[in-house]
Amino acid sequence: MTDAPVLASLRTARLTRARPTLASRLFTSAAGATLAASGAVHAQLYLDGYRYLHAVGVLFLLQAAASFGLGALLLAAALLPPPALIQLTAAGTALGALAGFAASRTIGVFGFVEHGLQPAPQALIGIVAECATVAALLAAGYLAARHGQARTSR
Amino acid sequence: MTAPMTRRQLARHAGWFGAAVVLSVTGGEVVSHVADTRDTASAAGTGDPNTLRFVQISDSHIGFTGPANTDVTGSFARAVDQVNTLGFRPDFVMHTGDLTHLSTPAQFDQVKQMMSGLDTDRVFTVPGEHDSVEDHGRAYRQTFARGAEGDGWYSFDTHGVHFIALVNTLSLEKLGHLGTDQIDFVRRDVAGLPSDTPIVVFSHIPLFAMYPQWGWATDDALQVLNLLKRFASVTALNGHVHQLFTRVEGNVTFHSATTTAYPLPKPGQAPAPTPQVLPARQLRTALGIRTVEYRQATTPLAITDKELT
Repeated sequence: MTDAPVLASLRTARLTRARPTLASRLFTSAAGATLAASGAVHAQLYLDGYRYLHAVGVLFLLQAAASFGLGALLLAAALLPPPALIQLTAAGTALGALAGFAASRTIGVFGFVEHGLQPAPQALIGIVAECATVAALLAAGYLAARHGQARTSR
Repeated sequence: MTAPMTRRQLARHAGWFGAAVVLSVTGGEVVSHVADTRDTASAAGTGDPNTLRFVQISDSHIGFTGPANTDVTGSFARAVDQVNTLGFRPDFVMHTGDLTHLSTPAQFDQVKQMMSGLDTDRVFTVPGEHDSVEDHGRAYRQTFARGAEGDGWYSFDTHGVHFIALVNTLSLEKLGHLGTDQIDFVRRDVAGLPSDTPIVVFSHIPLFAMYPQWGWATDDALQVLNLLKRFASVTALNGHVHQLFTRVEGNVTFHSATTTAYPLPKPGQAPAPTPQVLPARQLRTALGIRTVEYRQATTPLAITDKELT
């Protein structure tokens, strides 16, 4: 049976599914902290006047809310590891914010255009936080995959 | 082959995503609540003499006839009613040009009469290119800008804010144009102002390059913007493009306003900026007015665009 090795591997993986490594969980928690920081930046800008911008204001509120919610869950990862889908959603939120930033500097977002790293310093803090979120989640995913692979091959 | 999700795994995922939704909604509610509290405190200050509130309306095009809006007069009347029922009495109303469609005396009379129904202390205007058809703005100046300098530019102060009303539609080739006299006026006008004075500039055509291919820019605006570089907060409000657009460049925030008459296409999304025909129900959502609020000691102007009701 050609499927036998695959099935055996899956069975082994299920049997040996273990908690992610400490390093992986710490990276996930770090991603939670940076995502929450990105949410804080968006919330502050929303309160400081972006809420009056047509359509863009609502997007800032949604970004802040999602970042706070997902950030809080990822922060708890050190104690209770979240499923990979939560981490993917968190990465998507950070990437969405970065895409929105890029669009607002190029094609515009609902008729809203800004230039450079304005408003300062929030724009820079937001970019750093969102890039750090994606990087930390990639690192956590890589460590988890490597750990899982090592256990499966034993 | 992928292993199917067990009931236990499904419950676990549902739990996590439920928690994500609850936490996100809670976070959003908290931020919204803080914003509402600020807005409520601001609304409570309506009678506060330090709070400035004004309205921008634009591009009424009285006299326009076409399928894009078969009743521009009715639309403008609704805009006037909306201003009068905002829940506060604006300190002034600014019409940022294209009051009329063809600059005829009858159209100027009609729009002036309609604007006299605005419940406000003062009504200001700047001309659009439709207000200077074939007479270089003479009829406009006689109707709306008798005391103004040059071709109708002026400035005024209220609530600690310095307002400059510019005319960039008279020497129109393809782009808007201010001219040396007007730039000198701005230089003299702002010379004695402290750098922390909030500045608001009104013009019909955008002072930024929104879409030069369609003439949506002012060729010598940079000279004026350079004169305003030293100010901490500069807000430029314009009409002409019949759609909302915001651009931030350094210390200047540009806000293009929508119209009370008919929509124009988004930049580059049509061969030319010609009136767009929308389904009747959608037309109102493309038209609107803008309220602006400024409280002394708070830096940003709160700009709110409202659809025509």
